Amino acid sequence: MKKLNKRIGLLCLLIVAPFLVFAQSYKLPEFEKLKLKNGLTIYLMEQHDVPIISVSVILPAGAIYDNEKAGLASLTSTALKLGTKNFSKKIIDEELDFLGASLNAYASKEYAGLSSKFATKDIAKVFGILKEILLNPTFDSEEFEKEKSRLLVTLEQRKESPRAVIGTYFDKLLYGSHVYGNSVSGTNETVSKLTVNDLKSFYNLNYTPNESAISIVGDFSSKEMKKLITELFSGWKNNTTKKENKASNTIAKPTENNVLIVSKEDAKETTFYIGGSGISRNNPDFVAIQVVNTLFGGRFTSMLNDELRVNSGLTYGASSRFSTLKNGGSFYISTFTALETTTEAIDKALEVLNTLHKNGLSENSLTSAKNYVKGQFPPDYETTDQLSNLLTEMFWYNFDDSFINNFENNVNSLDIKKANDIIASYFPTKNLQFVLVGKASEIKEIAEKYGKITIVEIKE
Amino acid sequence: MVFCTSQAQMKAEDVQTFTLKNGMKFLVVEDFSIPNANMYLFYKVGSRNEYQGITGLSHFFEHMMFNGAKKYGPKLFDQTMEYNGGANNAYTTENVTVYTNWFPASATEVIFDLESDRISSLSIDPEMVESERGVVLSERSTGLENSPWRLLSQSVQSSAFQEHPYHWPVIGFEDDMKNWTQQDLERYFKTYYAPNNCVVVISGALKFEEVKRLAEKYMQPISAQPAPPKVHIIEPKQTGERRITVQKEVSNPYMMIAYHTPEAKNEDYYALNILSSILSNGKSSRLYASLVDNQQLATMVFTDYGDSFDPGLFNIYAVANTNITSELIENAIYIEIDKIKEEGITEKELQKVKNQKLMEFYNQIEKIDGKSNNIGTYEVFFGDYKKMFDAPMNYNKVTIKDIQNVAKKYFSKSNRTVGVLKTNVEE
Repeated sequence: MKKLNKRIGLLCLLIVAPFLVFAQSYKLPEFEKLKLKNGLTIYLMEQHDVPIISVSVILPAGAIYDNEKAGLASLTSTALKLGTKNFSKKIIDEELDFLGASLNAYASKEYAGLSSKFATKDIAKVFGILKEILLNPTFDSEEFEKEKSRLLVTLEQRKESPRAVIGTYFDKLLYGSHVYGNSVSGTNETVSKLTVNDLKSFYNLNYTPNESAISIVGDFSSKEMKKLITELFSGWKNNTTKKENKASNTIAKPTENNVLIVSKEDAKETTFYIGGSGISRNNPDFVAIQVVNTLFGGRFTSMLNDELRVNSGLTYGASSRFSTLKNGGSFYISTFTALETTTEAIDKALEVLNTLHKNGLSENSLTSAKNYVKGQFPPDYETTDQLSNLLTEMFWYNFDDSFINNFENNVNSLDIKKANDIIASYFPTKNLQFVLVGKASEIKEIAEKYGKITIVEIKE
Repeated sequence: MVFCTSQAQMKAEDVQTFTLKNGMKFLVVEDFSIPNANMYLFYKVGSRNEYQGITGLSHFFEHMMFNGAKKYGPKLFDQTMEYNGGANNAYTTENVTVYTNWFPASATEVIFDLESDRISSLSIDPEMVESERGVVLSERSTGLENSPWRLLSQSVQSSAFQEHPYHWPVIGFEDDMKNWTQQDLERYFKTYYAPNNCVVVISGALKFEEVKRLAEKYMQPISAQPAPPKVHIIEPKQTGERRITVQKEVSNPYMMIAYHTPEAKNEDYYALNILSSILSNGKSSRLYASLVDNQQLATMVFTDYGDSFDPGLFNIYAVANTNITSELIENAIYIEIDKIKEEGITEKELQKVKNQKLMEFYNQIEKIDGKSNNIGTYEVFFGDYKKMFDAPMNYNKVTIKDIQNVAKKYFSKSNRTVGVLKTNVEE
């Protein structure tokens, strides 16, 4: 239904407009899904409001495949743009800049991705580059060394911001030796050892069409787009090497409280996460958990923000979230406070978590959370890039358009009993994992009461 | 550049306007693409309306607007909005304070009720003042804690402006933040939070007539106030280079170069805006290609030239690569600037930036948020929302010669402030 009534065709306007004014539920616009012979999955969704196109590519080439070479997936994705068989880095940069087109390559924990946005009239040029980057990168060694040295400086600089590094420490503490504990960016130590050959082998092994998808959303004709995509990507060959899926290994759950202090001696604040095991993206209670988390720490009036910010002025903001992956996930409370109020803020956060378990939710607050998540849902799927990301996520996490189309029903069906069951099942209170980034010499003693302490230097 | 294609697109005629009897102006865009709407309220008050002793008060006031009024007491603004499916935020700059609400279109009347309540009868509870003071002190601290740019940019700005209120940071000086009084807040509310000092923009699944009806019902009864005092200070012309250094534990030095440049309504605005993109937008831009890619002196470089009511700054930012001094980077930047002053830019570069501007425009009008934010920005900073639709034409008019001229006019040694942030400031 999105934007349908705005199309210029008079027919649409006459038929649809009067009806839509009263429609509140949001449905995913129609799209097509097809597969090339090499296994590459294609999604096409036409959206004609603005003459632009968004593309999203998802590939099984994330940091979970790094092994001991932390940062390899990430640097490989960045290096795709450093030159190809037919285009030098300079040409790629100049051409994309000239068109005002964006084209980013990145790796996350589980997958690598490409996202691009450009004007419809530039379709042939941008797809030409995109295909080259994806299929024929050359990993030029001179450009690689330059990119790597910039990355090493960036990694040093990240240590200047507690917020930028805390998530990586938390994942490592929670997931331990499971590949979900892998750091996406890597460390100075691991990145400095990476070579062009590492990138080439990583690329050859992991950038394969049969487990990848490309989604295209925007102002184009599906018929012509199918032809173009088939031409460009049919020659993309699969690698026959069987690779091990380490992400499906069991994730060991924490068996005791742990406190990791990341020492930053010039810190004036303590930035902290408190959490534990979460859920995978395909958990059947995904939507219900999001609704309950909205009340706990997912919006301004949430219990956490109300207590730590509004009532006590301890922080600018406190929140909680479930971060979901294919085979597991994490739950964490996140906030920061002045060094002097560290204990007070941690105690309050734990107290709010206990209150959630002890008192459960009221009818009124549940209704409020349900209204809120429904009301804030449509703007998440408004633009071509949001929609193209959604389609590749559907591919990766194996959910379908019922997530969008039944969202409202799923939210509505959550009753108070179920909501309280969700709290008991999914919001951990035992075996909590704490990461505190701050002045270790002053917070070490006060942190002892929360669990077993380990201290690392942020500069390590 | 072809701007209007045959596609359905936003045009100036899609914006409908009316002004209430109390002077509150409304701009409305009907857009039924999703069942949602938004309301952006632009108040013409920011840190430029402050003076020493009350610095940061505009931003603090922004926070206090959420802390209770006559009908909806403390906490009820947010609780009511979220109960009805809405979310909100707000931001304060040197020039404006903007309140943003995003909600299902069916909740529009509730949003009008909430906004009119706090504009007509805000209640400033002394207890809320104290807990909120802690919140903004934490906001200040976390900004400084997580990015060296915060400290460096406020130090540079403070040196570039010695008399004009752009001298202090929007968040305020720490000691002023601890000293705002109840009277300061009450006076601020009366002076600046008047319907005639506000522009409201609404986009989304709403009919114009319905918006007008609600505005007349909820906003019209609020009385207008005398126009706020004018900001009379004009920053005297800078007559010599200024250099500052600040200490912070960092791996490599951070640096900034700031030139005084004119306000948004000035005729040089579009040329300076394009010049900023020529210098740093994308990997083929002049500064990135030279400093980051070819010479590897810096790991990042960017520029900004923002919209302001009074003359502001054109800022250049860079981070040093390993074992590179800030002096080396500084000189490399001047070499690139001098090239533009002496040789100008190419036709292709100009066309590139025009293409980029078109994509920026598309990105903005793709969502109802972008529509409201842009329309409001043009109305407030450029004096007329229609300028948003003239922007492509205004960018198109800029010539290679214009770019060279503004580079010569503003990028002079005596007009700049140079700031360096590093660990060892004694060497």
